Amino acid sequence: MEKVIEKWTGKIAELSIGSVSSEGGSRSKVIKIGGETTLPFLHFEGQMPNPPLVAAEVCDTPPEHWPFIIEEFKNFINDTLRWAKKCEEWGADLLCLKLDSCHPDGKNNSVEYAGELVSKVLKTVSLPLIVIGCNHPEKDQEILPKVAEMTKGEKILLGMATKDNYKTITAAALANDHSVIAETPLDINLAKQLNILISDMGLPVERIVMHHTTGGLGYGFEYCYSIMERCRLAGLTGDKVVATPIINMIAEETWKIKEAKASKDEQPTWGELHSRAVGWEVTCAAGYLQAGSDILVLVHPESIKIIKQTIKQLMTGVRP
Amino acid sequence: MALTGLDIYKLLPKTNCKKCGFPTCLAFAMALATKKVSLDKCPDVTEETKQILESASEPPIRTVTIGSGENKISIGGETVLFRHEKTFYHKCGTGILLSDNLSVPGGEIKNKVSLFNKLVFDRVGQKVRAEFIALKNDSDSETKFIDALNEINTLSSDSLLILLSNNITTLEKALSTLKDRRPVVGPANTGNYESMTNLARTNNAGLLVTGKDLDEIAAVTQKITDMGFREIVLDLSNPDINSCLENLTQVRRLALRKNYRPLGYPTIVFCSAKQGENNCDALTCGATFIAKYASIVIVPEPVDWQFLAMVTLRQNIYADPQKPVTVQPKLYSIGGTPDNKSPVLITTNFSLTYFTIEPEIINSKIPSWLVVVDTDGLSVLTAWAAEKFTPEKIVDAMKKANIENIVEHRKLIIPGYVAVMSGKLNELSGWEVLVGSREASGIPKFLRSIWL
Amino acid sequence: MHTVKILPDDIEIKVKDNTDLLSAITDAGIYINSDCGGNGTCGKCKVIIKNGYVLSCQTNVTDDLVIEIPYSSRIEEIHALIDTAEQTQESVFAYQPLAKKVHLKLVQPSLENNIPDYERLKSKLEEKLSISNLKIGLSLLKALPHFLRKVEWDFTASLVESDGGYEFVQFEPGDRSKDIYGIALDIGTTTVVAYLVNLDSGKVHCAEATYNQQISLGQDVITRIMYSTEKKGLKKLSQMICNTINDLIAALVEKSGISQNDILAVQSAGNTTMIHLFLGINPEYIRKEPYIPVVNFPPVINAEELNIKINPRGTISCLPGVASYLGGDITAGVLASGMDRVEKASLLVDLGTNGEIVLGNSDWLVGCSCSAGPAFEGVGIKCGISAIDGAIQSIKIDNGEVTVSTINNKKPKGICGSGLIDIPAELLRNSIIDRSGKFRKESVKSNRLRKNEDDEYEFVIVSDKDSHIVITESDIATLLRSKGAVFLGMQVLLQEMKLKFEDIDRIYISGGFGTALDIGKAILIGLLPDLPDEKFSFIGNSSVAGAKICLLSKSAREKAKEIVGKMTYIDLSTNPKFMNEYTSTLFLPHTDIELFPTVKRKLGI
Repeated sequence: MEKVIEKWTGKIAELSIGSVSSEGGSRSKVIKIGGETTLPFLHFEGQMPNPPLVAAEVCDTPPEHWPFIIEEFKNFINDTLRWAKKCEEWGADLLCLKLDSCHPDGKNNSVEYAGELVSKVLKTVSLPLIVIGCNHPEKDQEILPKVAEMTKGEKILLGMATKDNYKTITAAALANDHSVIAETPLDINLAKQLNILISDMGLPVERIVMHHTTGGLGYGFEYCYSIMERCRLAGLTGDKVVATPIINMIAEETWKIKEAKASKDEQPTWGELHSRAVGWEVTCAAGYLQAGSDILVLVHPESIKIIKQTIKQLMTGVRP
Repeated sequence: MALTGLDIYKLLPKTNCKKCGFPTCLAFAMALATKKVSLDKCPDVTEETKQILESASEPPIRTVTIGSGENKISIGGETVLFRHEKTFYHKCGTGILLSDNLSVPGGEIKNKVSLFNKLVFDRVGQKVRAEFIALKNDSDSETKFIDALNEINTLSSDSLLILLSNNITTLEKALSTLKDRRPVVGPANTGNYESMTNLARTNNAGLLVTGKDLDEIAAVTQKITDMGFREIVLDLSNPDINSCLENLTQVRRLALRKNYRPLGYPTIVFCSAKQGENNCDALTCGATFIAKYASIVIVPEPVDWQFLAMVTLRQNIYADPQKPVTVQPKLYSIGGTPDNKSPVLITTNFSLTYFTIEPEIINSKIPSWLVVVDTDGLSVLTAWAAEKFTPEKIVDAMKKANIENIVEHRKLIIPGYVAVMSGKLNELSGWEVLVGSREASGIPKFLRSIWL
Repeated sequence: MHTVKILPDDIEIKVKDNTDLLSAITDAGIYINSDCGGNGTCGKCKVIIKNGYVLSCQTNVTDDLVIEIPYSSRIEEIHALIDTAEQTQESVFAYQPLAKKVHLKLVQPSLENNIPDYERLKSKLEEKLSISNLKIGLSLLKALPHFLRKVEWDFTASLVESDGGYEFVQFEPGDRSKDIYGIALDIGTTTVVAYLVNLDSGKVHCAEATYNQQISLGQDVITRIMYSTEKKGLKKLSQMICNTINDLIAALVEKSGISQNDILAVQSAGNTTMIHLFLGINPEYIRKEPYIPVVNFPPVINAEELNIKINPRGTISCLPGVASYLGGDITAGVLASGMDRVEKASLLVDLGTNGEIVLGNSDWLVGCSCSAGPAFEGVGIKCGISAIDGAIQSIKIDNGEVTVSTINNKKPKGICGSGLIDIPAELLRNSIIDRSGKFRKESVKSNRLRKNEDDEYEFVIVSDKDSHIVITESDIATLLRSKGAVFLGMQVLLQEMKLKFEDIDRIYISGGFGTALDIGKAILIGLLPDLPDEKFSFIGNSSVAGAKICLLSKSAREKAKEIVGKMTYIDLSTNPKFMNEYTSTLFLPHTDIELFPTVKRKLGI
């Protein structure tokens, strides 16, 4: 029979993160995402020039709702730089640094602190960098411009730009040659609108990564999954505004939920905690890969390894 | 292909006679198009119309039922490529593969079946479980196969069975021990399809069909349907994860886009994976194929945490996307750590409403409690208009949230749009009711003016 | 009892202790703004007591008072709702009005011609009008013999339509056949419009419009329904609408100098809830799932029974509705547009309180209600008002200069529907707002853009010693929601019928915001689809237009029933596309700019 080959007219924008010394940066490599001309891993139909990336998440303050990770990482959880160094060892493609400690309700660390920390991280690891603020739109307007300035030339990915603070963050990215993550809550139209507003400020769509607010497995996964599929389909059928790579913050949606916390005694039918928790992060990531994820942000070294393998299999078609 | 409401309308008498219970022929046609009503409700429909509608309503992917009684499941019957287009109807089955080489005396089968029996989970109020045990006649020995089957049956009489052997007599014998279990048998291929089909038909079983590629599989299913048998499941297992994904995608596309009948059947994938501790290969394969089009996913081992993750993913993928996007109705703490003096706001569980309000509360810089009432995902005004956001329901939600023991004060902030309910709510709850702003954008100013 | 003196009108009223001022003022026949229905949230019902402003709805009378009602709080005559231009479809329907007066000269009876009085009258009429099925009431019959002889068999008989035939309602001496009137009535949630129509000539004699008194009990139908379930609520609402109608009739009678008794028929059109309330029928189940009205085809009712001040034997008819949220006003609109009589598909967009849309052709009709809200009627907008004298009906901004034009060139008082459509268009065109409707605070250098006392950004349209008219960021958000719901309603209907905007032959726009509607700007903000200008027809208040057609033609009344019979109601509240795509419309003109190619070109997007 004749196979059904879709003739997609669009292409997902290709975006580089990181910059090596010859280009004014200090990273060991430049990595690319995007560029797809078909749905995930349908190599028979189109190109998927860049494999999805695995970013390792590093928090600058122990994530209080992640008891399992706090325990597993206890030797370095209070030392952001050591944690960052570990991520490099674990084989992550890039680092996702979260400046949680700047949140006004937490330590409320200063703008200067954020700038210094980022500089130190740059010196400690050579991976390309994603820097996420403290999930407080107003404070992020203060710290992220500083971060952008301190990392000028490194071509980082800066987030989260929301409808309330995108102007400041976009301006900072523009001034310092970075890219931004545009975050909107589970709605394809809101995502598209924010992309339009950001690109109206002069930052090309090619320098935007979308985040639809990731749903954890069993906790709204399906909403995000479908919004991603719809965005990808729209992008491939020619809607350039949403033809941008997509990021999924899987770690933060995994390690706070009870499947990654409850012991086997509490939940005797759920199996042993360690494997279950890692399995949860892995399954969530594997699911999002099928919806078009370009960057998966994970935290556990085992998940990082397994998902890197999975991506390799899906890219090359060879099983180990 | 499915007809639209307008297509069907053109075939109806257009008398708007209302005998079908609908106000107009068009309304009836639209209901027919979405299969909410059957054609026989129209007394004046012509024979010709009947025939056109019947042939159009034949689904492009056949629905096959496996098992009997309470545990039976239907697979296939899907109508879309992406779940947002409508929904995926028949959630895919999951299960494990056992080799009859494991049969007594190692006790391995006993062990694995009893682990399989524990793969039952409670998720969001639903009991979900692994359904399938596939037994493979690796030993080529009839005795071993039957022994293994008996062992499975003794421990798990209600699992859905897939019996795989190249020996028809072995399968025949196995089937004779099963009464009304409606298993799947196979593999049927170019060589043995005739006897396999007869076997499946005689024993009221489903038939698993294999082939080296889609062309060969299609050729076999065509011959089987020529014999008048259609209870088919396509085995698309492939050692290459990519070919597997490609074939699953092609089968779904060919059936739905080209109405290609020879591949219009449910599918099964056996994920073979290396053994070993913490090996997630089976899990990542399983997740991939649950997302992309397998009707049954079989993994090698009955590992509890793996199945928990897989059935959760399945539940998510097969959830009906046409239900409004909601947030969980419960008490949320927003903007930091609210305490016993923090304001208490109330809203509905429509996610857009929630996500509009949340950042504005954060903007107010006043940590607050937000009681989210279950309004079936309707927004404030719509829910109120449809009586799903009533003083009674709010009081109920406040009780569930245990808010009276969380805060010291007795002040409740309601959305400005439902100001009219303040009197009744005050009466029912005993709380002072403060009417908040109409728009979320007014929340920061409102909170700051009344709470600081 | 307290005495309240109202300035500058210099009226004194007696008010019961603890009555709220708003009710007292309304009872005195002075209408003042109150969007929130007395909840104290809209701030529009301000009055002055001893040099200070109070909200009249929040102030109870506990003593004798002197109050001043400022210009800005008053509701004035609604001009733009009265649109008697004959652009609609009445000429295609055969003239056969709801009531007739026939001048008759009967042959006197004699020994040779000894037919009884009534049969004599009847056969003459049947011959003259070629009708049968005539009825007469007993009291009128009793009066007949004396009357006929007194007027020497030369008289005028009045008839009203009844059960497919006619019923005698009065006899008058001589020829009064030209003195017959009917009322065409649009009972809106916000406003009520009445035409006095001469049923002999078919011409509109004069017209009046006013606010629906019920507005003081809430802006929308849902609030009214809820109020109706309270104790005596239904009776009060019913009385309020009847009072509103009687006020209009009294005004028409006074203006035209005719006799109230010469008005023999009222043909009304209104949304389903309004008709229920008008007839005093419980509307409660309209609101509750599965949203069923008591009646779609209300019976013809005697004027006396409803206490409507026309000839007591005159009749009140209501145009049939389709569903709970698709009422007789829309049936009237379809009828007036004539969209049900052409082969090509057209759209009817009614920009009233709900925003109803009908799509169809001579074969089928589908309709929906978008819950668009009353923003285009000026309700829920800080400086929004109805299309009254002094309402800003169009706005232009060029190089930071704002030019406005008001209805009847009166000094600006607020902004009505057509002005509210212009504003986002002009702000966007001048890069004062971005496509999400937010002010570009960083880049706009204009002292018109500023923060107000509520800490919200607003743009000043007019500021002088008399008026201070602004548009706030949340006003724009409200307008975006309204325009979005209407546009999406059209999209959903088209999708249900597998049609595209390009397939639409004509778009009829009805509503009471005057003739100043700028189609280009309505397209620019994404309220209307991007189609060539010539495809749009503005048909004004199509509800009253349809009512008028029915007043004058039996075949039109039959047509109305046919329209209802073939119209399919699409419920948007359960439509997944409506819910999923709603956010796409909350952008200017739309998230998907490709739907608006000319806007894309104009704005250089």
